[in-house]
Amino acid sequence: MGEEAVRRRIQELLAGGLATEVCPRADTPESVQGLIQRLREEAGEDLEARLVLAGFTLNPVLHGGIEQACETCMYYLVHRRWCELPELNLPVEPRWSCRLWRI
Amino acid sequence: MANLLWLQGGACSGNTMSFLNAEEPSACDLVTDFGINILWHPSLGMELGDNLQRLLRACVSGEIPLDIFVFEGTVVRGPDGTGAWNRFAGRPMKDWVAELAQAAQYVVAIGDCATWGGIPATAPNPTDSTGLQFLKRQKGGFLGADFRSKAGLPVINIPGCPAHPDWVTQILVAVATGRAADIRLDDFQRPKTFFASFTQTGCTRNMHFAYKVSATEFGQRKGCLFYDLGCRGPMTHSPCNRILWNRQSSKTRSGMPCLGCTEPEFPFFDLAPGTVFKTQTVMGVPKDLPEGVDKTGYIKLTVAAKAAAPKWAEEDIFVV
Repeated sequence: MGEEAVRRRIQELLAGGLATEVCPRADTPESVQGLIQRLREEAGEDLEARLVLAGFTLNPVLHGGIEQACETCMYYLVHRRWCELPELNLPVEPRWSCRLWRI
Repeated sequence: MANLLWLQGGACSGNTMSFLNAEEPSACDLVTDFGINILWHPSLGMELGDNLQRLLRACVSGEIPLDIFVFEGTVVRGPDGTGAWNRFAGRPMKDWVAELAQAAQYVVAIGDCATWGGIPATAPNPTDSTGLQFLKRQKGGFLGADFRSKAGLPVINIPGCPAHPDWVTQILVAVATGRAADIRLDDFQRPKTFFASFTQTGCTRNMHFAYKVSATEFGQRKGCLFYDLGCRGPMTHSPCNRILWNRQSSKTRSGMPCLGCTEPEFPFFDLAPGTVFKTQTVMGVPKDLPEGVDKTGYIKLTVAAKAAAPKWAEEDIFVV
């Protein structure tokens, strides 16, 4: 499946009510490492599992006074519209969000 | 002619290895061109046993004028303040250090261990190690905060794990040739000529830093190592990207995050699991921001820079 098709599939899953683990956000280095570990061990290449564990949403989450949108995340490639976190490695949209957001 | 004595305490000899690889000037140049008489060095000295003890005692007494006392490694004070875990030439090394530092015109600490304790002094510091005039960020160390050598200077700290060879030889030449007064020291007694700038100064990844494009895995030639891989280049004072290593490269140029080894806190976070090669964040924002940048400014800058990032910044431009 091409990148655009995967992006559409993710959009459909999230819009269709896929329940993702939006909270708690990965606020500490320990929680980030824990989530990364879970992504490696529990999700692997499974698209839905990755979306659920990472807590993807179709809109930015406001957390601690900061809007956590993909477009400001350090893992986001602006031109490719891509999340480059190795454990996610997904096509995304700028206004999506996940709990592994970091700036 | 300036007499130089070099001793090692709690050390791995890394700074000696570095020193022996110096190029501008080289260790040989110190002797042949700059009038430095190396009285003794752990890897170069000829004296052993009684002869070495006689030499050291002559330095302490002033019979042999000691111009420069160089110390590499920590001062080991354990167990129970005796220093017995690091004996040298018939007595605890710490006793030699105390007496030689008083006898010397200049005292130079080489490497993190001698400057602020380095890895041996990392918690729980089982050998009760300390640097000559600092223990981590706290001034004092083994010689005390008020220590001044005979020439009136505090310990000259040349940190690094190891220190770059040319930092060492250039400072030794300055001292030996009567230009010590030209050496300006920062708050941690590091020569400003080397340690006022940052590791990031001159880094080839600065474009990626500017456009907030991150390297997310080792081996990527694109991307900045600060955002995810724990690089301390923007917070670390060193000229590693101005005075290159082996005249070729630097850690960050070759894809290795800076570990901040010229700063008193090195190794950071006491080497707790998950803290090495991983940028530590709180609510998604790096715990340690580039020096002088606050959280609000960092976020504003990042949002703007990322939005402005050109396509090439997200690609590998260092192609063969």
